[in-house]
Amino acid sequence: MRKTALALVALLLTALVAVGAAGAKTGKSQATVINGAGSTFVSPLVSLWTPALGTAFDYTLQYSGVGSGAGITAITNRSVDFGASDAPLTADQFAACNGCVQIPWALAGTAVPYNIPGGPARLHLTGAIIAKIYLGQITNWNDPAIKAVNPKLAAGETLPDLKITPVYRTGNSGTTYNFTDYLAAVSPQWSSQIGRGQSVNWPAGVGASGSAGVAGVVKNTPGAICYVDTAFALSNGLHFGAIQNAAGNFIFPSIRNVVAAGATVKSVPAGNELHIVNPDKTNPLAYPISTYTYIILPQKTQNAPALRKMVFWALTQGQAGKYTAKLYFAPIPKVVLVASEKALQGISS
Amino acid sequence: MEPTFSLKATGRSANRLRKNRMAEIGAVVAAGVAIGALAILVGSVLVKALPALNLDFFTKGPAVFGETGGGIAPAFVGTAMLVAIATAMAVPFGVLLAIFVSEFASRRFGDQVRLWLDVLNGFPSIVIGIFVFALMVQNKIPIIGLGHHQSAWAGGFALAVIMLPLISRTTMEVLTLVPNNLREASYALGVSKWRTVLSVVLPNAISGIVTGTTLAVARAAGETAPLLFACSIFGQVVQTDPSVSVASIPVIIFEYSESPDTNLNSQAWAAAFVLIMFVLVTSLISRLVLDRSRRKLGAAS
Amino acid sequence: MEATATPQGLRRTRHALDRFGDKALYVITGSAAVLTLVIIALIIWKVVEGAWPAINKFGISFVWSATWNPVMEVFGAREFVLGTLLTSFGALLIAAPLSIAIALFLTELAPPSVRSPVGSLIEMLAAVPSVVVGLWGIFVLGPFIRADLGPFLHDYLGWIPLFATTPQQTGVLAAILVLAMMMVPITTSICRELFLTVPRDVKDASIGLGATRWETIRGVIVPFVRGGVVAGITLGLGRALGEAIAVTQVIGNSLRPLHFSLFEPGNSLASQLASSYQSAPTNIEISSLVYLGLILLVITFTTNFVAQRIVHRFEKQTGAR
Repeated sequence: MRKTALALVALLLTALVAVGAAGAKTGKSQATVINGAGSTFVSPLVSLWTPALGTAFDYTLQYSGVGSGAGITAITNRSVDFGASDAPLTADQFAACNGCVQIPWALAGTAVPYNIPGGPARLHLTGAIIAKIYLGQITNWNDPAIKAVNPKLAAGETLPDLKITPVYRTGNSGTTYNFTDYLAAVSPQWSSQIGRGQSVNWPAGVGASGSAGVAGVVKNTPGAICYVDTAFALSNGLHFGAIQNAAGNFIFPSIRNVVAAGATVKSVPAGNELHIVNPDKTNPLAYPISTYTYIILPQKTQNAPALRKMVFWALTQGQAGKYTAKLYFAPIPKVVLVASEKALQGISS
Repeated sequence: MEPTFSLKATGRSANRLRKNRMAEIGAVVAAGVAIGALAILVGSVLVKALPALNLDFFTKGPAVFGETGGGIAPAFVGTAMLVAIATAMAVPFGVLLAIFVSEFASRRFGDQVRLWLDVLNGFPSIVIGIFVFALMVQNKIPIIGLGHHQSAWAGGFALAVIMLPLISRTTMEVLTLVPNNLREASYALGVSKWRTVLSVVLPNAISGIVTGTTLAVARAAGETAPLLFACSIFGQVVQTDPSVSVASIPVIIFEYSESPDTNLNSQAWAAAFVLIMFVLVTSLISRLVLDRSRRKLGAAS
Repeated sequence: MEATATPQGLRRTRHALDRFGDKALYVITGSAAVLTLVIIALIIWKVVEGAWPAINKFGISFVWSATWNPVMEVFGAREFVLGTLLTSFGALLIAAPLSIAIALFLTELAPPSVRSPVGSLIEMLAAVPSVVVGLWGIFVLGPFIRADLGPFLHDYLGWIPLFATTPQQTGVLAAILVLAMMMVPITTSICRELFLTVPRDVKDASIGLGATRWETIRGVIVPFVRGGVVAGITLGLGRALGEAIAVTQVIGNSLRPLHFSLFEPGNSLASQLASSYQSAPTNIEISSLVYLGLILLVITFTTNFVAQRIVHRFEKQTGAR
């Protein structure tokens, strides 16, 4: 009896191992393993890059989308080979990271998806309205302010009497940084009361972890709205808003419009910190909540050659349409590419 | 002589009986509600798990973003590793501790250790997570030099801290059940204490240790909170190196449960199904073993 | 304890080996015991150490200060403490009567063929991992609250502030129900075991005196086990207070002051830790989060300690009986 019990437990455990080991074929060979962690914003793109990097260099890329904040912590502790963040490092974070370089390696828009049953498929929103929703001042989808910017709804579409649930990211998030950076730029009240940051004191709404988490809440909660990487909204069939930019146009985060926002960068400052939210009105096509996202590398690292190769690949071939297009990532412009490649030369072992 | 009276209760008695009836109905309804809710819990896991339970689920890693299919093989391997590491740490430790308390320690000290083990058992698992994070993820462990990043070692250690009181308390319970005349008979034959402990006491208590271990394994396999801090930064492929972070079933369920991707939602249900089956089977085993050993030791004393 | 008469013929070497063996076993097992206590002390130490910068900066008023503002780096625990207490005691209010009722049903009312299987089933459910209960909370309980339970409560009890707002699927009510779900199996199995300890003849005597079953339960069984039931429920409460994962999955992780309505999102100490600790960027925010952990530790520690005391007293009492 006792032996049977022991044997059973052992059997269960070995069964688990065996079953897993059968799947281990994917990671079998002595390939170079590169560990990274951070931004969930960029994780869909990295997920597509991973198999390609495997064929190109025999690298096994292990990327964990744990959020920009956690990625910065991880690279600061050197517990991964690289971190990824959509927010530029703060001065404190730079100091703590002790010899880190941030390199812009992808460009995309932060979509504002919503879940309104029977609602418009192409909802128009302004920065002021979004700020008021997240401040808890606009609480219903039938609010006159929302109706005012959506005068012509398609047949059968309504703005119903439905409570708005704003959804935000818990913990520290680069997407939150860019979103609050945008809200602070368009709403004086947001700027003075809440401010910008990787996490802020949200005055309303519910929190969820990761890009997938907020998109998940919106998918399952009628009336909810969030901010997330366009890829997450698209792949999960969520409608997202057209946001009014400084030129007064209502703009979707399509590649063309994100490219227009990315092109507002004319030169890259030392430290590679780029801000492209709410471009001025000379850019009629620019999507107002676009963002460069960064890979964070230590200047001194044992894995330098492999990391250099990987990032160079990501900056060049990785920008090709077959990876970026269906996720609504835009290829990074020449001026940023040059700066990134230059920064990459600073990585050595 | 006998006055005729109705057997039907009236007045006060009727009131009492009515009250009794209502209380009984209340208890049955409450039991029905609670059992019903628990049944719905298990039932929904079963129903929602089925679509994702296929061979790929057990043998493949996660699919590329936005595509369906794929599985959680890395999590199966990871959980097996984490539980194995935790068991290897907690079992010897817990058993030695129990031997000390039941064979050597004074009653007072024994009571103290028992009390603190219960206190440890009551610590929120998330606090264990903070502890392990501060001890060996944020910093290197002094002396051993291990750590400074998340790893299966750190995750396993966190689970071991959670398993320790469970194993230790069950072992203690069984050790006190080992009849004293067995020990005395051994001493009377001139056998020293350590030989008595190793060859008389422990063999009689082994089923209790197995019980405690399986119970603890069942609990550890489903723990999520400490792993979030100790072992949650992992990639998409199977990892067998304990010095790096590995995927695990509970963390995967946690992640996938919040995903907007219905494919991943189903996989979370399927993983929950596997986890529940594992937990139920192990606790069933431990229950059988415990009942048997209680009966056996009870008969011997 | 020592062997009384050592036969003269024993060889010295064996004697020495035994003496060494006894010592070694004592030392090895003893150090395991000491090390265990060290680990417990170390857990407390590490948490206090981690919280120290925040303790220094905000002092004890951190506990009742309401702001949690990462941008201004001003932190306070009040909303999380209130959330933890509200969800746990709310769950207790639901789970305690239910558990006692099920336990009574299983020991006194149910036909014998039902008692044992259902009893062990419930005990096993205590082992269902919290992340699975949370998963269920997101996909089954949440929508049920939004579409059925919530509107029902709102329509009929909407005049009570607790149910005044529009039902949502993530929120305090969902957290309370999920926690109650986790408490019921634990407290039920403890209560059931306690009710089983009530001697048959005491119950029979009560019934023999003409008491109804309900009167027997109230007058005989419940007083007999009262201390144990309270302790069991307190242990269940301890688990609810410290539960992080299932709560963070359903409560909505709000940073606003706790709303009076149970349909609104809230937060708790453990859930704030689970959702933010890993990614906190600044040292003071990390430290403040650990401070939350310290408060949680103190709360659960006190709860469990009280429960142990009650159990202890109860054991003494029944032992004396």
